[in-house]
Amino acid sequence: MIQAHNLQKRFGAVQAVRDLSFSAPDGKITGLLGSNGAGKTTTLRMICGVLQPDHGSVRIDKPVGALLDHIGLYPRLTARENLAYFGELRGIPRAQLSQRIDQVLSELGMEHIADRRTGGFSQGECMKTALARAILHSPQNLLLDEPGNGLDVPSVRALRGLLRQMRDSGMCIVLSSHILEEIRILCDHVAIVSAGRVVAQGSPEDLCRRTETESLEDAFIKLTQENLECSATL
Amino acid sequence: MFSHALIVARKEIRDHLRDTRSLVSSAFYALMGPLVVGMVSIAVHGAVHGEKSSAVLLSMASVFALVATFVAGMNVAMDAIAGERERRSLLPLLMNPLLRRDVVLGKWLAISLFAVAGVVINLAGFAIVVGLPFHLLIAVTLALIPLVLFASAVELLISTWSRNIKEAHTYLSLVIFLPMVIGMFFGILSAHGFDVALATRGRSAIADRSADQRRAIFAGFNTGAEHDHHSLRGARLAGQRKTFASR
Repeated sequence: MIQAHNLQKRFGAVQAVRDLSFSAPDGKITGLLGSNGAGKTTTLRMICGVLQPDHGSVRIDKPVGALLDHIGLYPRLTARENLAYFGELRGIPRAQLSQRIDQVLSELGMEHIADRRTGGFSQGECMKTALARAILHSPQNLLLDEPGNGLDVPSVRALRGLLRQMRDSGMCIVLSSHILEEIRILCDHVAIVSAGRVVAQGSPEDLCRRTETESLEDAFIKLTQENLECSATL
Repeated sequence: MFSHALIVARKEIRDHLRDTRSLVSSAFYALMGPLVVGMVSIAVHGAVHGEKSSAVLLSMASVFALVATFVAGMNVAMDAIAGERERRSLLPLLMNPLLRRDVVLGKWLAISLFAVAGVVINLAGFAIVVGLPFHLLIAVTLALIPLVLFASAVELLISTWSRNIKEAHTYLSLVIFLPMVIGMFFGILSAHGFDVALATRGRSAIADRSADQRRAIFAGFNTGAEHDHHSLRGARLAGQRKTFASR
């Protein structure tokens, strides 16, 4: 369960997030949908605690794992060593650690690259390693920033399968994306972010019904346009 | 309590032992001093080492040894924070439940270990070229450890200030001038110079001790200084101070 209340964040002259509230329930995949610069990444960073909001609060009840746009792996260490380092820092007992790493590696189908140095990895392989790192400590809440970036078609499918599986086990998953298709296929709950605000939230069908549109795309355009016009008049 | 710091240090060490290029360049820096001093020595005296090594050569050696304390850990320091920031791995690292103190301590420890290794290689080189006795080698290494810790801390701080490796490199290459200045100052003030300093400062116990301490560091290089009796005394003093430095 993740709840964000009236989050605000300003970077110099840019008001990245202005009064953003949403809640993500357990056992659901919540999507933050918004155009570039809408404040998705800033919001996720505030939720996982690396950014202090100027105003507002975040409530998280259980440990959180996050895969932000900072994938950063250590290129001279193998995928397994990268995971082991973070596992040790997370305080996973050494006896369980190697077992847990093997489990995560097989879940993500990356046994064949586990003992290669990450310096030679493709973008998708880096992404998978970073995802493995984010779920290594079996968090109950998972934040993903543009998780589909750089993944090939089979990997995206595998990722979706994995996320659904985690959702069914009762996890709370929040992912941000600017790709409508991804959100539509994957998310049970959508929060549309525009200019630092959540302009609407609900299930994809719900949003279409409310805006009297056929597709999520039309709903998105309609909702964000309204908000932008509103902001312009203010 | 410091288990996280040890985890960080172990990772940094393992990571950097695999960085062959950085290791080779650090080793090259460390051995450059002995090489240069050896060549100059041949040019001046026609022989590599022995009684004839002049005070100038030995003060040169002390400059190189001081520079080695700063240079040997520099690659590691550059990568430690500025590199992590550039690679975008700093944020995921700090998202772990660990104190920033432990991150800094771990990285400091790793940088210092590489710096000590560089100093040892450097001094071993001088031991061969200038004929530094083995017990002095150990004494000087131990005496340089506080300086190594200081140098590593400064480098880590600069690495933290820098936004990327390139910037860190710019600032760190300026830092090398620091040991050069210190080295030249102390190089000119050889064992003889300290005697003068002692005489003018009076014989207070503190002055005695601090001067002797410094002499233990630098007199090691004066084993073959121009006045034979002088240098012998310096060597003996440094030998006696070995126990002091290791305490």
